[in-house]
This record gives sequence, C-alpha cells and structure tokens, in this order.
Amino acid sequence: LDVARLRESFAHVAVHGDELPLFFYSDLFLKHPEVREMFPVSMAAQRSHLVDALVKIVSQVDSVDDLTAFLQGLGRDHRKFGVVAEHYDAVGASLLATLEHFSGPAWTPELAADWQAAYELIGSVMTTAASADEQLRPPWWRGTVVAHEPRSFDVSVLFVQPEPRMDYLPGQSVAIESPSRPRLWRYYSMANAPRQDGLLEFHIRLIDGGAVSMALTSKTVAGTELRLGPPVGVLTLGQPVSSRDLLLVAGSTGLAPLKAILDQVATLPQPPKVHLFFGARTADGLYDLDNLEKMAAQYSWLTITPAVPADPKFADPKFADPKFAGETGTLADVVARHGDWSQHDAYLAGPTKMVRDAAIRLAAAGVAQDQIHIEDFGWSQP
Amino acid sequence: VEPALTTAWFDEQSRMTPEEVHSVAFPTSRLGRRGYEEGAVREFLGAVHAEFLRLVNERTSLWQEVQRLRRRIIAGEADGDSQTVLFGEADAHIHAVRILSTAQVTADRYVADAQDYSTRLTEEARLRRDEIMHEAQQYSDMLLDDAHTKAREAAVSALNVAAAPQSDEEQRAAQAELAYLRTYSDVYRAHLRAYTEGILRGIEEWERKETASLQEAAQGLPTAGARAIDGNAHLHH
Repeated sequence: LDVARLRESFAHVAVHGDELPLFFYSDLFLKHPEVREMFPVSMAAQRSHLVDALVKIVSQVDSVDDLTAFLQGLGRDHRKFGVVAEHYDAVGASLLATLEHFSGPAWTPELAADWQAAYELIGSVMTTAASADEQLRPPWWRGTVVAHEPRSFDVSVLFVQPEPRMDYLPGQSVAIESPSRPRLWRYYSMANAPRQDGLLEFHIRLIDGGAVSMALTSKTVAGTELRLGPPVGVLTLGQPVSSRDLLLVAGSTGLAPLKAILDQVATLPQPPKVHLFFGARTADGLYDLDNLEKMAAQYSWLTITPAVPADPKFADPKFADPKFAGETGTLADVVARHGDWSQHDAYLAGPTKMVRDAAIRLAAAGVAQDQIHIEDFGWSQP
Repeated sequence: VEPALTTAWFDEQSRMTPEEVHSVAFPTSRLGRRGYEEGAVREFLGAVHAEFLRLVNERTSLWQEVQRLRRRIIAGEADGDSQTVLFGEADAHIHAVRILSTAQVTADRYVADAQDYSTRLTEEARLRRDEIMHEAQQYSDMLLDDAHTKAREAAVSALNVAAAPQSDEEQRAAQAELAYLRTYSDVYRAHLRAYTEGILRGIEEWERKETASLQEAAQGLPTAGARAIDGNAHLHH
C-alpha cells in the first residue's frame, strides 16, 4: 500500500469539492436504489460528513491506532442506521467509481488496486467492530417518552424509558431520532446517572429552525416512541475517579451531562468538592436552577453559581428577574473571577463558543490541558 | 459538448473573468492606515474559489467527454462501421448520475429554503414573545399600583364610615382591611380581564397576518417550493 500515492491521489480529487460526494451518492443510489431510504431528503449535511470522514482517514492513515479507533467507532455508530455487511461492498464499488471518475488521466490500475486494498482494510475494521458490537448491544433502543416538562420558553425536559435497559457512563450522549423527523439524528446527553428503573432524562433546547429540537420540545412528543443510538462520549469522570476537586461549567442545556456527573459524585463514598457554574442568555434560561439549589442545600460538597451575561441587551431591566441573585458576565469571565482552578478537574459543556472561550481562559489561568474535559464527538458531530 | 458536471447553483451571468481578477480594486481600510479591507478581500477570494472549483469540474467533464468520443471512434474503426456505440452503457450511467445529482441538489435547496424560512419565523416569534412579556410586565406593574391606590382610598373611607358608635377599634380595622381587599380584587380583576382580552385580540391579529403572508409567499413561488414552505410552517402550530 503506497500511502504517499493515496494521499496525492486524494488531494487531486478533493479539489472537486462537493461534486465528489454528490457523484458518490448518486452512483450508489442508482446501483442500489433500496439504500436511498436510509438517508434523509436533504443530503447536504451527509455529503460534508462523508468528505470529513475521508479527509480524516487519509490524514491519519499512518497513525494506525487513532485511525483504528476512529473506524471502529464509525462501524459501531452505523449500526443504528441499519447498515449491514453487504452495504460495505456497495459503498466500496461506488467509492472506487467516484475516485476513478474524478481522477481523470491519473487513474491507473496500480492506483485502483491501492484504493481497493485501502477500502477493504477500512471496511474490515468497521465491520469487525460492528459485529463485535452486535454481541453486546442492540443497534438502537426504543425509547418511550413517559413525560415532557416545559421548563422555560425554549427548554423542555424529557423522561424516556429505554427498551431494553441502557448502560452508560454519566456524561455520555445518545443520538435521538424522532418518529416525526425520520433519518435525522441529533445528539443529546443523559442528564442523570443510570437509575434503578432505567429512566433517562434529556434537556432539549428549541433551536431556531431546528427540525429535531422542534419535534422534541413540542408537547405532542409525550407518549411517542423515539429511537436512541448507542451511548457515546468522553465527557466522563476518570476511572478511578481522581482525587482533585471538580469545576463544572454549563451553558444552557450543556447542563445535562454535568448534572449526570453530579448524580455520580453524590454516590461516591468521599465526594470531592464540586463548584458548578450554570449560565444562560437570560435569568429565564436557567431552567433547572431550582433543582440545582435543592441539591446544593442537600450536599455540603456542592456550590452552585448561576450567571447571566452583562451584555446591555440582556441586562436590560425589562428582562432581568428581580429575584435573580447570580453573577453577571460571560461564563468564562465569571469562572475566572472565582479564583484559582489549577488544582481542579474542569468539565465544560454548552454552546461551542462558550465552551471554547472558557477552555482557553482556564488554560491561560494555569489549568493543565489534561484537566480540561470537553466533549469530542469526532466522527459523529451533533 | 454536454454541459459540465457542475450542479452547484451558480448564476451563469456572473462568471468571473481573468480581466476582473486583474483589475480588482479593494477599498482601503480605515483613515490613515494602508491596506485592503479584510472583508472585501475574503469575499473576493470566495468568488475566486468558487470559480476555480467550477473550472476544475468542467475540465473533468471535458476530459470524460474526450474519452467517450475516443472510445466511440476506436469502436467504430474496429467494427468498420461508424454507426456503432454512439452512447455506451458507461456513458448512460454517468449521464444518469448527473441527472440524479442535479435533482438532489434541487431537493437540498428546497429543504434549506424551508429551513431558513422556519428559522426566521421562530426568531420573529421569539422577539414578539419578549415584547409581549415586557408589555405584560409593565402593564401588570401599573395594574398593581392602580389597584393599590384605589384600595387604599376604599380602606380610608371604610375607616371614616366605621366611626359608628357600636364598633370597636379591631372591628374598624378589619372592615378597612376587608374594603381594601375587596376593592383591590375588583379593580385588579377588571383590569386583568381587559388586558387578557387585549392580548387575545393581538394573537388573533398575528395569526391572521401570518396566514396572509404565507399565502402571499406561496403565490410568489413555484409549486414545489410553496409546498415545502407550507409543510414547514405548520410545524409552528
């Protein structure tokens, strides 16, 4: 396998941009029309996922361990879409046809053989991981929405009963598909540690124009049956749990995974000190503050600091809640104001920009990189 | 020659010419500082990038067309008959891929348009909600003040009336309290009813306007687009 040649070949075809995945899927659907129904109507996001995955594979092809872990995850993850071994041959054939089409005169029998061998390798890592996973768990779980609680204008809390029981680590997430939005999967974190009755809590924020969040925040979601993918994610406490105190920084529904971690901490024989910062755009957006304050009253190791931005638009008294006793400022600012975190393990979740800003600020304030934990979906962007 | 395999939504009229690249002039940045304005440069680079992508794709298509014609000639020579293999199976497949790709991009576009429309609607609803909440807050403060004032007046007059011989201090106080509460509650209830009715009228008007604007939008669009937008709009109800 000539890695340099593969890379060069990929760089050559990659300049065709979106035409590359467009050709690939059209070729695949023409040769195997039955595969089309596994995909949503709009393929725009799907195409960029395919290209991202190819770019990642080609760039990591010589760091075998990382690549293998990535492909294994990809193989397991595709089970929930109903992908089976036969589909891999179909995809391989269309991938080769696409590469040939865009390579033009550069396509030679040797190059074709290299790509064929590379794809077989990729496919076998993915299918092996997928079939090993079959022994352990279902491709997806049925999840009945047993309760839907609107908490604020745009946040709802769902309680979902999975069937069969789902085991996961507090802080992990699952992809959710709503029956009214078929083939659209979005990642949501469980907001509780695994419970005796197996019930899962999810915090859903209505995104403007977000098809899935709209379906999940609507009150008609109660009683419906969702599909849940397998639990994924690395925003979890280390094993064994480190002796350092914990700093949790949650923006909006980023609270969910951190609340699951709180649940877990509460079961530890010697809970570390935990300081949870909970921020939102407005005081009204701190949708779970009452429950958090109850927990803080119950547990001496827990401190809660709510925060809303000082942005004049939102600090306008007309939006301010006179009863709000939290801090003002961005989460990054508020956390930084509260002193030295260098001896803490920090867990951050929330809007991408908030998480990035807070991570940068903590790193600058001397918190070591391996003490800053953020979710990395890698192969499966939420 | 067939059109190039370029299904992206480019406007045929606005193709970039080498002349444009050569003669482009960027506006200068803030007074007293030299250099181009970053946004303008980035926008121009975006256009160059799109054009470049298109050229690359056109070149690939042309190369394939040359290959197709070449195969046709060779096949014709071998058979001694120039009528054979005008359009081989492989060419038909590429042609079909091209048609399907165009259809897919069109579908993507409609979904994206519907999504944009739905985003705009939710944003508007959110702003509208903030406004209504603000108004309600102000109005409620006013109602409370008003009810409070009226009730205080009633309490004072109850105190005066209750100067009757048989009533003791406690009874007068209780009566004053009762008069206060009764008036407070009456005034507040009346105001609240008027205000709630006002809000209901506002919501009805909002719904009427939304329906009208949806119909307007539907008329101005091709059928498929109108269907996509209608289908999306009902998500909000």
